[in-house]
Amino acid sequence: MQGAPAGGWGPGLPAVDRRTLLVCSFILAAALGQMNFTGDQVLRILAQNEMQLSLLRDLEGLKPQKVDFWRGPARPSLPVDMRVPFSELKDVKDYLESHGLAYSVMIEDIQVLLDQEREAMAKSRRLERSTSSFSYSSYHTLEEIYSWIDSFVTEHADLVSKIQIGHSFENRSILVLKFSTGGSERQAIWIDTGIHSREWVTHATGIWIAKQIVSDHGKDYILTSLLNTMDIFLEIVSNPDGFAFTHSMNRLWRKNKSNQPGIACIGVDLNRNWRSGFGGNGSKDNPCSETYHGPYPHSEPEVSAIANFITAHGNIKALISIHSYSQMLMYPYGHSLEPISNQEELYNLAKRAVQALYEVHGIKYLYGSISTTLYVASGITVDWAYDSGIKYSFSFELRDTGRYGFLLPATQIIPTAQETWMAIRTILKHTLRHPY
Amino acid sequence: AAAPEGPQDSAWQRDSELPHGLLQQAARAALHFFNFRAGSPSALRVLAAVQQGRAWINSKKECQVDLEFTTEHYNPEEGEERLGNCSAQVFFKNEKPRPTINVTCTRFMEKSKRQQEDYLLYKHMKQLKDPLDVISIPDSHGHIDPSLRPIWDLAFLGSSYVMWEKTTQFLHYYMAQLSSVKQWKTDEDAIDFDYTVLLHEFSTQEIISCRIHLVWHPNKPLKVKYHCQGPQAPEEASGIEEGSAAAPTTGLINY
Repeated sequence: MQGAPAGGWGPGLPAVDRRTLLVCSFILAAALGQMNFTGDQVLRILAQNEMQLSLLRDLEGLKPQKVDFWRGPARPSLPVDMRVPFSELKDVKDYLESHGLAYSVMIEDIQVLLDQEREAMAKSRRLERSTSSFSYSSYHTLEEIYSWIDSFVTEHADLVSKIQIGHSFENRSILVLKFSTGGSERQAIWIDTGIHSREWVTHATGIWIAKQIVSDHGKDYILTSLLNTMDIFLEIVSNPDGFAFTHSMNRLWRKNKSNQPGIACIGVDLNRNWRSGFGGNGSKDNPCSETYHGPYPHSEPEVSAIANFITAHGNIKALISIHSYSQMLMYPYGHSLEPISNQEELYNLAKRAVQALYEVHGIKYLYGSISTTLYVASGITVDWAYDSGIKYSFSFELRDTGRYGFLLPATQIIPTAQETWMAIRTILKHTLRHPY
Repeated sequence: AAAPEGPQDSAWQRDSELPHGLLQQAARAALHFFNFRAGSPSALRVLAAVQQGRAWINSKKECQVDLEFTTEHYNPEEGEERLGNCSAQVFFKNEKPRPTINVTCTRFMEKSKRQQEDYLLYKHMKQLKDPLDVISIPDSHGHIDPSLRPIWDLAFLGSSYVMWEKTTQFLHYYMAQLSSVKQWKTDEDAIDFDYTVLLHEFSTQEIISCRIHLVWHPNKPLKVKYHCQGPQAPEEASGIEEGSAAAPTTGLINY
């Protein structure tokens, strides 16, 4: 289902009130088991001209609120999608008809749709109370992942701790796992997954990797010697608002959920918002675009949280940012075709990492710089990391190559995680052995 | 066969430094076109690897690509590892839709076996209970119920037509999800299938919703009509695109 509901509350309310209401509704929804949209419909209207558009905007401004725009009035010939609560349906339809505004019913009953989605989810979901019954071969909700994080940290408190590095636009916690055997201000590795919320296999891989780190510690000589002198930071849900949205409304949502007043479209591409080649060709300044870079570098709380953390830490030696799909392992730059000064070393390292990956399940990855392997992309995480002095900056695109794309079957989670880990381990080994 | 010569027109210049990914683009366009023309949901192919290719660009930035590539079966059976070989000439019209394609592929399935499999799929489809309440295939977890697999394959076949038309030297598509079934009629001879798909355009990362209506019967030309809605981009001129076709008889395809 396309369309981007504007948070469920009309833009007529001031930002602070809206946020408070959102937070309250989350709590309420959690407590009461979801809000009720029975009988609510989503109508699609095609306005023919500016006058009709302004009639629609008038609807928006009514108090008490009668409609909620999922796709707001922008210009004529672009569809306007609005949610109409059941109680307002007759009035709103009368209004549309009396003004000659043609409409169609896109969703007959929102609650029915939500119930169906929830039912489908419940079938494949497991309620986890400890990590031993947590299914690593399933996809999980945000709540399940955050609950797993707490259990995981409790069970492995000797090695793992949880850090909150900030809040998302919709005020969700941004969490990072720290793997450490002690010391202070140690050099460290940074790994992130889920910056693009629809790339579900990346969060699942991040979770599996966390488990692998604790189980390999004391058994695998590379990981054990690494953790003797270095720490690992792992951010699993780098875009919690987007991720929640992929569960609730739009499985193919990519960006975060930030919005600016007066702008019809929501979300910034968190992998175009970094201060490196920001605003260049490989991004868009159109808020409705999937690669919208945002108003200025690090404008997005999800990005500034990471950037501030890494900068304050000051001792990150490798950064690995994980995406899907395409089966590629890449290094900077994305914003330029110019090779980085360490091109040869990173090329050779990528080659070895991809070989290690291949040896697990025979999956072939391409490798090279982002701009020459994937496409030109500006304002990306790894370009910023490299420019900030993190020499070993890599970006993964995990399985597959388009057959399932973002909707990778859960049966492929563990094989994907296993092979990805072997590539990461190769990078970690090199980082450990080549201090700088 | 000897590699084909480039166009004789002196306005063409041989482009020895191929733009990044151009051969892959050409292969994808050729394969979508091939799948559509073959009209066979049991014999769909996907790109395995580009073997070699050359390209020419003219002053109008139109692009002729000659290439050879290998293919795999879209729906491989247990342990199946069949590779097909194709050669194609693809003419991109400087970002305008409907690249002109000439493509030949070696067969990887005996014609009689392919016809048999199509007929089995057809029978299976006719027996399916009304799938109108199916919301998405695959579901969010990437799962496709085995009984619904034929619907996915048929949807992919119809989408191949759309994806062929929309592929340019810069844009390429994957079918991300079958988002709804509007109509599934099997009471007459052919399967009459009206549905919406979400296509993922890779270079822009946009998701495009297309309404597709196809009529399919094994061994008859596939008929497709479609109507896509561009991404949510008020400044860009994406709007509604349509197309329709009835595939000519299979005489043109070398099996």
